This record gives sequence, structure tokens and C-alpha cells, in this order.
Amino acid sequence: MSVQVLDRELNRLEGLWTDGLSDAYRVYLDSVGHFTPNVQPKLALAAALIEMGVRLQGLGGRAAAPTTLLMGDLCLARGSRLLADNAPLAVQVAFARAVESISSAAASEQPAPATRPLLQSALGASR
Amino acid sequence: MIAARVEFATERATEFVDITDRIRDEIRRSGLRDGRVYLQSMHTTLGIAVNENEPLLLRDFQGLLERIAPAGAGYQHDDFTRRTDIQLDEPVNGHAHCRQLLLSAFATLLVADGELLLGRWQSVFAVELDGPRQRRIAIQLDGEFARESRHAPESLVEVELARQLMVDPEAVAAPMRRLVEAGGKRLRPKLVQLTAAIGPRNDPLRAAELAAAVELLHNATLIHDDYVDESPYRRGRPTVAAAEGPERAIAVGDYYFAKATRLIAEIGNPGVTSAVAEALEAVCASQIDDVALRGAYPGDRESYMRVVRGKTASLFAAACASGALLSDAPPEVVGALRRYGDLLGVAFQMADDMVDFSPSSGKPMGLDVRQRVLSLPLIYAAEDRVVGPEVRQLLAGTLGDKEVGRVTDLVTSSEALPRVRKEALELIDAAVHELESVELDGLRPTLIGLARAAVDRSS
Repeated sequence: MSVQVLDRELNRLEGLWTDGLSDAYRVYLDSVGHFTPNVQPKLALAAALIEMGVRLQGLGGRAAAPTTLLMGDLCLARGSRLLADNAPLAVQVAFARAVESISSAAASEQPAPATRPLLQSALGASR
Repeated sequence: MIAARVEFATERATEFVDITDRIRDEIRRSGLRDGRVYLQSMHTTLGIAVNENEPLLLRDFQGLLERIAPAGAGYQHDDFTRRTDIQLDEPVNGHAHCRQLLLSAFATLLVADGELLLGRWQSVFAVELDGPRQRRIAIQLDGEFARESRHAPESLVEVELARQLMVDPEAVAAPMRRLVEAGGKRLRPKLVQLTAAIGPRNDPLRAAELAAAVELLHNATLIHDDYVDESPYRRGRPTVAAAEGPERAIAVGDYYFAKATRLIAEIGNPGVTSAVAEALEAVCASQIDDVALRGAYPGDRESYMRVVRGKTASLFAAACASGALLSDAPPEVVGALRRYGDLLGVAFQMADDMVDFSPSSGKPMGLDVRQRVLSLPLIYAAEDRVVGPEVRQLLAGTLGDKEVGRVTDLVTSSEALPRVRKEALELIDAAVHELESVELDGLRPTLIGLARAAVDRSS
């Protein structure tokens, strides 16, 4: 992903890049090698944003403060839009199901599944 | 003939409660296509009236009633030394009975093509004359009913919503079900369904699936909004955050955010998926702006328009565009409907802002002021040469009951509300204009009616 594209996709979320988003992005880059090169960085960023969104929301723990929650919402929404524009249907569905399982576990006060393996598995849904 | 009841609680001694939407709901539920609705007050101090819902006019009506039959003016009914069979809690309310005599206890309204036949400025009011009390109005609906009202488009969305909530874990489904069943205008799903009938590929079931998903998405954003705004009530019931705690509210919002996204993706139309995803991103970004602007409350019109375009109008626009895309409508039609939805969404939000200053909306007045929610009437009142300085001074301090009451009085006494109303109506005209140059398969009158109804309301 070019620097310009990355900058655009991080608009309003720049502060998160050094707060774990870049690390997550690099990890997910290893899971998108089976996609065409032009969408690989977009899908890795989508996964990183969704992981960050779930983390910011505080799912399964103490509720996030309102402003943090809204940042988390924006991460989830942007990740979702990147998937809608770039991912095969199976991957979009797998990501949504992953967030559904994490949030329903949190609502039921059950231990939530680990986010990263779920999302890595979702990236493989089209294989 | 179908019978129903409208029940509500009043909050003040004299109060004009707009029950138009409640009657429309009963008509929709009954499937009445052409006929009459009979209304009857079940009380001797509750009248029924049809008139314009304009806050200052309602004050005029109240003043008129007070002048003709003032309270405590020596009514014989209030002389308990001369009356027999007095209850322990007998109220001193001769004035209220006399006022009711000036109104009517009955009304007959006409229904044509499933719609309540009212003039543009007409609303139906229950007029409380001796509140606050719990009140009832009896309704009978008579005429020709749709044979299969269960299959009306609105019913398809309700069935789809119920079906989706039925398969979800109870921890998330129960709070969402309470929110969905509490009502809401369902404007976004209506827009999806209407626009999904415009192109050559008209599939009502797929349209209902998309419409229900859009409604779930909208409700998911409301659940998070209510936590952020610390709102105690939504649609007359405790918010999910208030009832279940913030942790559960966040999880429920996230669940339906994800589920709605999945349902839309599974429809299998990439254009639709992208349209809704872009709108959702705009909603979330604008919500951040909205909260940030509260530091400079009440803000200015430019900031207001930027936030409302993202927070409200983007999903209206996406609802219109996605329905049209689903039906394979031509790009120029999709574009026109997207612009129509955008303009309608802004006008809708302006009308919603005005409700906060309406004594008869059925919602507590001044709630937006108390919660420092972005509001165009408040922005205009703060700019007003006469009331502006006091409004700004009050908003800069702590907002208790007294201050909120004073701010709402100042807003209603200024030109702010007529100015916002005029602006909303101009936006509706512009939205209607967008529909003029494209072929809409006979749906133009319905879309125009929906747009006009969206701003002609009080609740």
C-alpha cells in the first residue's frame, strides 16, 4: 500500500498507528499472501483496524470511555469498509462472524475467543 | 371493524399531546386501506382537536382556554360543601370540565389508500386539561381492509427483524428486541423498500432483508450513541446502557454492527455493500466530531451541517442508493436518489431538533439542551440579537432544570424555530427537485409524501 493510501486510510486514527496498529498490520501482512498484491495491504490494514476496534471497545472487560468507544467504532467501520471494497464475500462474512462471536461472548459474560487467531482464520476463509 | 386504544401519560396541567403518529401506527397495524378512524376520549377532562403543531400556536390555544375558563374562578363543581358522593382524592377541576366543553371528545378521520387523510399542517391532538394523568383514547377503524396486510412491505421488514432476532443469542437479542419493538419510524427501511422497487429487478423479499439489516445497523449505532450521550431513555424506554450497563450496551451494539454488515454482504451485491459501509464510516466519524464540538457548544451552522450530513444523512442516502442498486436501477437514478436521501436526512434531523422544543411531542422538552446535543434551533437562538447573549451565558454554565427551562423558553420565543422549519422545508423542496429528472416507475408521489411527512411531525 502506498504511503498516500495508507495515510488516507489512517485519517483521524493516526495516533493509533504507534499504539499497536502498525504492529498488528505487519502481523496480518503475513496472512494475506494468497490475495492479489494490490489488495494485500488493504486487507491486512482492515484486519488490524478491526483488532484495534475490538481492543478499544474493551469487549469482555471494563466498558471503554465514550470517546474511546467512538474511536473503536470508527476502526470497526473503516475496517469493514476496506473489506467491503476489497475482500471476497467469504472473507467479509468470516470477519463479521468473528466480531459477532467476540461480542456475544462479552454480552453473555463468557470468556471471549482470542481476536487475532480468529481474524487470521477469517483472512483464510476464501482459500 | 377493528378496535384499539391509545394510552399515554401527560406531564403538565394543560398539554397538547400529538397522537398523529400513534393513529397512523394503528392504521398500519390494522391494514385499513380506505375508511374511517373514530376517536373518543375516555375522560371528561381530555379533549380531542385537529390543528397545527406549532409551539407558539399551542401556547395561544392554552392562553385562550385559560382566559375563557380560568382556574379557581368559583366553579360550583369545586364547592365540595354542596356536592354529594365526593371521592377522597376529588380534584378541584371545574375549569378543566368547562374547558373540555369548548373542545370535542370525539373525532372522525378519513383514511385513503392506507394513509391518514390530513392536510399538510394538520395534526391530531389529545388535549390534557387536568394533568398530569394517565389517559386513554378509544379508537375504532372501519372500512376496507387489505386482505393480506401481513404481506405489506412494512410487515415483511417486521417479520425479517423478528426472524433475525430469533436466531441470535439471548444476551444480545433481548436488548435489541426491546429497542426494535419500542417503535421508531422505520424511515430508513421504508426508503430501502421504496427504492428497491424502482429498477427492473424488483424482489420484495431481498429488499426486506436489506431494509431489516439497515434498521439493525441504525439501532446498533443508537445503542452506542445513547451510552456516549448518557441518555436515560430511548423511545420511551430505558436505553440499553441504562438498563443493562455500558459493557453490555457496547457488546450488543458491536454484535449488530457486525451482523448487519454480514447480512448486507450476504445479499451478494458489492455496490450495496460498499454504499452501506461508506455510510457507516461517515456515521462513526461524524459522531466523533459531534462529541468534539460539545466543547464549543452550541457551535455554528457550518459545523452542524458537517456533522448531520455524516451522522444522519449518510445512512438516509445509503438507504436510498442501496435499494436502487439492489433493483439494478440506472446510475443516474441511483445518483438522484442518493442526493434525495442526503437532503431528506438533513431536513429530518432539523425537524427532530425542533421536537426538543415542542411541548406536545410526547418527549421531555429540553433533553437535547440538557445533554448538550448539537441542535440547529439552539445555534440560531444563540446567534439571535435579542435572546442570544442570555442563551450563550446559560449554556456556558451548569444546566439544571431552571436553566434548561429558561433556554427552551428563549428558543421558542425567538425566530429560531421558524427559521429552522423554513430551512428544513427548503431542503425537502430540493430533495423533491432531485426526483424530477429521473424515471421512478410511479413512485415519485410516494417518495415526495414520505419526504414531506418526515418534517411535518412532532415526535
